[in-house]
Amino acid sequence: MDSSVEETTLAEDSNPEAPSIVKQLGFGFWFSVGFISIVVLLAILAPVLPLNKPTSIGVGTQFETPRPGLWFGADSNGRDVFSLTIWGSRISLLVGFIAIVIGFAVGGPLGILAGYFRGTFDKVISFSFITLLSFPALILAILITTLLGQTVLWVSVSLGILAVAPVGRLARAQTLVFAERDFVTAARILGAKDSRIIIKELLPNVIIPMSALALLGMGIAIVAEGTLAFLGISVAGGESWGKQIAAAGTSRVLRDAPHVALFPIGVLFFTVLCLNYAGDRIREVFDAKELAL
Amino acid sequence: MKLVATRLAQMILVVIAVTLLAFGAMNFLGDPLFNIVGPIASVDPSELTDADRATLDEASEIYRLDEPFVVRYGLWLTDMATGDFGTSFENQVQVSTTLKNKLPVTIKLMVYAQALAVLVSIPWALWTASRAYRLVDKASTVASFAMLGVPVFALAVILFWLFAVRWDIFPTRFDDSSVWAQVTSMFLPAVSLAIPLIATYQRLLRTDLISTLQEDFIAVAQAKGLPKWQILFRHALRPSLFSMLTVFGIQVGALIGGSLVVERYFGLPGIGAEVVEAIIRDDFPTVLAVIVVVTVIFVVVNFLVDLLYGFLDPRVKLDG
Repeated sequence: MDSSVEETTLAEDSNPEAPSIVKQLGFGFWFSVGFISIVVLLAILAPVLPLNKPTSIGVGTQFETPRPGLWFGADSNGRDVFSLTIWGSRISLLVGFIAIVIGFAVGGPLGILAGYFRGTFDKVISFSFITLLSFPALILAILITTLLGQTVLWVSVSLGILAVAPVGRLARAQTLVFAERDFVTAARILGAKDSRIIIKELLPNVIIPMSALALLGMGIAIVAEGTLAFLGISVAGGESWGKQIAAAGTSRVLRDAPHVALFPIGVLFFTVLCLNYAGDRIREVFDAKELAL
Repeated sequence: MKLVATRLAQMILVVIAVTLLAFGAMNFLGDPLFNIVGPIASVDPSELTDADRATLDEASEIYRLDEPFVVRYGLWLTDMATGDFGTSFENQVQVSTTLKNKLPVTIKLMVYAQALAVLVSIPWALWTASRAYRLVDKASTVASFAMLGVPVFALAVILFWLFAVRWDIFPTRFDDSSVWAQVTSMFLPAVSLAIPLIATYQRLLRTDLISTLQEDFIAVAQAKGLPKWQILFRHALRPSLFSMLTVFGIQVGALIGGSLVVERYFGLPGIGAEVVEAIIRDDFPTVLAVIVVVTVIFVVVNFLVDLLYGFLDPRVKLDG
C-alpha cells in the first residue's frame, strides 16, 4: 500500500541507503512550512499579541515610513500597517482553509466514487466537473458571494465550489490508477466489500497526491479571496490583504507611500509562494504526475 | 469527422449546462422582481398604492416573471440564440449594445496578453532548455516559479506603481484615440496578465524541449552539423509545443478572471469591468449575457485547441 509509493521514489535514488522523507523534501520545504506556520500562528494569536489596534487612527503620522516599533510604517490614516497586515491575514487564511476543506469534502468522495464505480455515475460526475471548470471561475465566485452575502461562510463556500472540480478530477484520476493495481484485485478476490476497498486500500494511496493539491489549492484560494477583496466583493467589514492592497493601490498613495501597498503584497506573495513550493515538493517527492497541469 | 461532431455536441451541452446554472443562480439566490423595481417588490401587496401595483404588474409582464422557471429559461435561451441579450434592468440599455462596445476591448486585452506570453516564453524556454541544469537554467526555474505565484492584482499594483506613477513611462489612463495610444495604455494591463502565463508556458515548454532534445532525430541534426539555433527552432520546437498548446486553451479561463481585475484597476472599458459592476448593481441580463459570451469563448477556444492538437500530431485521436 503506502510502501509501494515509497518504493518507486526510493528506487530512483542512487544511494544504497535511501535518505528519509524528511531529508528528501529538502530545506526549502521545511523553510516554507516554517514560514507558513509563523504566518498562521501570528494570525491566530493576533488578539493577544502586543500590537497596535488595526483600527486605531493616528498611531503614526500619515504615510510614515517604517521605523522600529512601526515596522511596516503607517497608512493614510496613520494606522499601523504591520498590525493591519497581521489582522488582515486572519480572513484570508480562514477563507482559504475553509474553501479547501469544502472542496475536499465534496470533490474528494465524488471523485473517488466516480473513479471506483465508473459507468453512468462516473459520466454524470465527470460532466458536472467539466461544466464547473468551463464556468468563468471568478465570475461564479462573485455571483454567489453577492447573492448570498459577503460573510466568511459564503465567500468560503463560493471559493469551495470552485475547488470541487479540480479536487474531484484528481481524486478520480488517482482512483482509476490504483483501482487497477494488484493489491486492489487481491482484496476483491479475498471478498472485501467495496466500502472496505475504498477506505482501506484506495484512500491511503489517493491521500498523498491530494495533500499536495491541498497546499497548492490553499494558495489559489487565498489569492482568489484577495482578488474578491481587491474588487470590493469579499467579506464585508474587518481587514484583509486584498482590501489593504486595494486601498493603497491608488496613484496618490502609491506616489506618496508605496510601502503601504508593498508590505501586504510582499507578505501575501511570500505566503502563497511557500504554499506553492511546499505543495510542489510533496508532488515531486511522491511523484504524482497527474498534478502537473 | 464523427469524433469532431461528438466534441461539438459535448461543447453545446456544456454551454447549456453553464447557462442553466447561471440562470438558476440568478433566479433562486435573489428576487428578480426586487432587482427590477426596487424595494416596493417586498412591500405587502395590500399596502401598495395603485401606481406601485401598476409598476409591479408591468415589470412582471415585461420580464414574464409569472411564468415558471423552465419557461423563462427557455425564452431567455432562444432570445439569446437569436442575438437578443435583453435590456439592462438598470439603465434600459440593450445588453447587446453594451457587449458590442465593451467586448472588443477585452478581446484585444486577452490577445495582447497571450501574444506577449508566447513571444517571451518560447525564446526563454529554448534558451533554458539548451542549457538545462546549468546555473542560468536553475536561476530561471526559480524566477518562473516566483512569477507563477504572484497574484494578478498585486502585479497590477506593482507595475502601475513602477511604470506609471514612479517613472511615468506608460499612461495612467486608458486612451483609445489611436492605435499607438491603445498599445501603450493597454501594455501594463496586458503584462499583468501575461506574467503568470509566461511562467506557465516556459515551465511546460522547457520540460518538453528537454525530452525532445534527447531524441534520435536531434542527434542526426547535430551530426549533420546544423547550427544550434536551427536545431532548436526548426527541429525541436514543433514537436515540443503540445503541452503548451493544451494549457493555452485552459489559460483563457484564467485570463477572463484576470481581466475583471486589471480592467477595473486600470480603467479599461471592457466586459470584465462591466460584469463586476453589473453583479454589484444586480443587473441580471448583463451578468447572464457576459457569462454566456465568456463561456462560449472559453469552450470554443478549447475546442479549436483540441482540433489543432490532433492536426499537429496525427497520433492523437479526438475521443471524448
